[in-house]
Amino acid sequence: MPAGKADVLQGTLDLMVLKTLDTLGSQHGYGIAQRLQQVSEDLLQLNQGTLYPALLRLEQRGWISSKWGTSENNRRARYYTLTRAGRKQLEREAADWQRMAAVMARLLGSAGETS
Amino acid sequence: MHPRELVDRLRGALGLSRHRDDELAEELRFHREMLEARHRERGLAPEEAARAARLELGGVEQATEAWRDQRSLPALDMLAQDVRYGLRTLGRSRGFTAAALATLAIGIGANAAIFTIVDAVLLRPLPFAAADRLVSLGDAGSDGTPSLMGWTTLDEWRARNRSFESIAIMGSWLPTLVSEGEAERIPAVRVSAGFFDVLGVRPALGRGFTAADDRPGAPRVLLLGDGLWRRRFGADPAVVGRAITMNDREYHIVGVLPATYEPLVEGRYYQAAEMWAPLGYDATLSQACRSCQHLRAFGRLRPGHGVAAAGAELDAIRAQQRRDHAEDYAAASVAVTPLRDAIAGPVRPALYVLFAAVGVVLLIACANVGNLLLARSLSRRRELALRAALGAGRRRIVRQLVTESLLLALGGATLGVVVASLLVRGLARLAPVSLPRIDRAAVDLRVLLFAVALAVITSVLFGLVPSLRAARMGLRTAGLGPRAAGLQSTLASDSRTNVGGYGRGRAALVVVDLALALVLLAGAGVMLRTVRSLLRVDPGFDPRGVETLQFLLVGTRYAEDSAVLAFQDELLERVGALPGVSAAALAGQVPLGGNGDSWGFHVRGRMRANPAEDPSVERYAVTPGYFGMLGIEVLRGRTFTAADGAKSEPVVVVSAATAAQVWGGADPLGSVVRVGDPNEGPWRRVVGIVGDVHHQDLSGPPTPAFYTPQSQNTDSFLVLAVKSRTSPEALARPLAAAVRALDRGVPVYALAPMSDLVAGAVAQRVFVTRLLGGFAGIAVLLAALGLYGVVSYGVAQRTREVGVRVALGARPRDVLRLVVGGGVPMVLLGLASGLAAAAATTRFLGGLVFGVSSTDPFSFAAAAALLVMVALLAHWLPVRRALAVAPVVALRLD
Repeated sequence: MPAGKADVLQGTLDLMVLKTLDTLGSQHGYGIAQRLQQVSEDLLQLNQGTLYPALLRLEQRGWISSKWGTSENNRRARYYTLTRAGRKQLEREAADWQRMAAVMARLLGSAGETS
Repeated sequence: MHPRELVDRLRGALGLSRHRDDELAEELRFHREMLEARHRERGLAPEEAARAARLELGGVEQATEAWRDQRSLPALDMLAQDVRYGLRTLGRSRGFTAAALATLAIGIGANAAIFTIVDAVLLRPLPFAAADRLVSLGDAGSDGTPSLMGWTTLDEWRARNRSFESIAIMGSWLPTLVSEGEAERIPAVRVSAGFFDVLGVRPALGRGFTAADDRPGAPRVLLLGDGLWRRRFGADPAVVGRAITMNDREYHIVGVLPATYEPLVEGRYYQAAEMWAPLGYDATLSQACRSCQHLRAFGRLRPGHGVAAAGAELDAIRAQQRRDHAEDYAAASVAVTPLRDAIAGPVRPALYVLFAAVGVVLLIACANVGNLLLARSLSRRRELALRAALGAGRRRIVRQLVTESLLLALGGATLGVVVASLLVRGLARLAPVSLPRIDRAAVDLRVLLFAVALAVITSVLFGLVPSLRAARMGLRTAGLGPRAAGLQSTLASDSRTNVGGYGRGRAALVVVDLALALVLLAGAGVMLRTVRSLLRVDPGFDPRGVETLQFLLVGTRYAEDSAVLAFQDELLERVGALPGVSAAALAGQVPLGGNGDSWGFHVRGRMRANPAEDPSVERYAVTPGYFGMLGIEVLRGRTFTAADGAKSEPVVVVSAATAAQVWGGADPLGSVVRVGDPNEGPWRRVVGIVGDVHHQDLSGPPTPAFYTPQSQNTDSFLVLAVKSRTSPEALARPLAAAVRALDRGVPVYALAPMSDLVAGAVAQRVFVTRLLGGFAGIAVLLAALGLYGVVSYGVAQRTREVGVRVALGARPRDVLRLVVGGGVPMVLLGLASGLAAAAATTRFLGGLVFGVSSTDPFSFAAAAALLVMVALLAHWLPVRRALAVAPVVALRLD
């Protein structure tokens, strides 16, 4: 992976994928990768060796489902959709993440003051 | 792990959804092509676009690998790898694998077979609802089990106790089915109304008995067993309500029991019943007296009530009865026995002995396979060293070796189950009839689980130690363990490498083999001598050439004793005229025939203050020719003659044991006795004393008995015994024909030569002896193979030395002495520990042993001698082979 681009933690990637599917609805792997790249303004570039195992993991846990469909350019593609359990998981993880982010922000902010 | 994830990973690991791999490939291709297309749109040349897309995506291989990891179980993968590798290795060394599998198949198979029988006979709950609350009850007999009881006593127990939901009462019934074709005696019992409720059984057709059925004078009804219903009534569902004639009385069939009903309780005390009628006990009859004991009782405990508490309560009730009717009750305690113990109790010790013995066989099998593994690990040292050098850790190597052991054990278990199913069939045929439920013994899921559990345990027993050793050796020689020897040296080493460690381990296992084999041999020897002593016991009569058959004279035609007597006189006359017959007699029962009928025995002038405490003595009603025909010795006085008739003075003949027990040193001749009721009936004069006869079994002392003339105390349940000058079996048909010629309505059954009855008395011990002998044989064979393996390996190591010695002039005898000398400590240690172990364990044969000590020196010595010969043979064969190799060849070896 090119230097300067962020390595993605496993749990973080799960949350990103769930949120992307929440926003886009049904989407194939390429679409998810593109979306994440766009949103991160090219900071995040997903290796397929990371993305597809993650999609499989989310599906094994019942948070997303997949089925074959036809892409915008008339190709066969596998489409992933958020399930009801996935939506709940997204809410839970998003809340956790925000709480953690707030803590980090306060911690880093206060650290800045003392130094 | 999420269950769905686990399932998906399992499917992936087992390769159940290969198509998902193809789907992933397609998905990845789509992703790459979309990227390429986008790059082209941005103006890159096609090759450039493809390169950029590949860079951005990363390797397809890595992606596929990572994705597959998400779809698999690493542990399972490794196991699959070990199993594949193990199967390959075992397949390469066919000889080793076959020997190990055969040994394990015999060990596990024999165990599974005996387990099948133990399970069917002892372990399975009885096929009744909540069977753990069913108990047998009654006054404790001499052996501590519940004995026969009287009606009034039981009726009061039923009314006064709080421990039981209900108590059922059962009595013998010997009905003859007269209608519906040929007269047939049907095995049957009379039962109280609650009998089937206590057992929790409902009729499949019709109804059960009600309290209204169970009264004297109630309309006669009966229930049919499924077998009888099918056999005699063509499984007609309309049979309910039909009237049939039994003993010339009309009965109405009210129901049919389900096919699943097993008459275990009836079979234990009477016979496997096919017909049931209400007891309808008339308490006004004289046989309802408190001291008249002829009924069996069992009950269902209330939930939460224990056996001991129920026994204590009945004890208290019985003590009160004794206070109220002192003259009717002797002092006794009440026995309450779980029904399963009551049914299976008599055979339990024998089965446990066999179970233990077959366990020893399995231990020997384990020792042998362990021995084979140790030998093999030597030849695998290079392979293991190589694997260690290539980076396999100790744990990984041990796991690989244990997996191989487990594969062997599971293979052995699979073959063992096949062996077991064959064995069970054979054993069921060999087994004495006294083994209840043996007919239900079959290899089933429980047996399969047992075999698998055995396989796991045995693989640990025989496989773990050799695996640990082999792994350590492999690591050490690979230079990775302590005291490194260097991979190179091992890989280059030849077969002359020192093998001391393995040799000692294998010798230790041979010692175990020999010791265990000796234990089984000694046990088998003790049992063999037991059977011999039993067969040497003088039964007090001569069974040779005597044929017996039983029949029954009942119904209005035989209501008067005179009719029975007329029938028997006519029968004896006809039978006596048959060709080949030298003597004929009739008796109420014959010795070892399985029946006993004890009567209170009251001698005038010698009665206790409480006549209920007078001794009980077995009674036999016989015709005059009985004593002479069976060769029963007349000690004093006379036996019966034709002159002892219904009108002459009542007489009895007593056995020597009765004379000793009742009269002590005094002379019984001329005394008068009353039998049964002390207050009623004629006084009978003692006219003779005869030798003791083993009526019940051969292993106990003869029970006291007295004889009455059939003409004065008439039984209608009769055994015809006929002495033949030729073979008794040839008489069976003419005898049955002679009975039927007099009355077609009389059922004839249980035709058997008297010698069969004697054989039946030792059947259980013969069964144990045969099996123990068989197990001992297997044990000796396995021990011999183990010993042979170790010795021949040792000799092979020394072939060159033998060659040198022979070249220098050593004689074969010297070589043999040299090799045997090496084996002597091993064999001696095995025999010594075996003798010690046998001395400590044969006492568990306990009550099975008769006429010989359970540590019988002769059996022990014979067992040791046999093993010494086996050991010599195991030494001699390899030596002979070594000697056959010409010295020159031996010197050129390696």
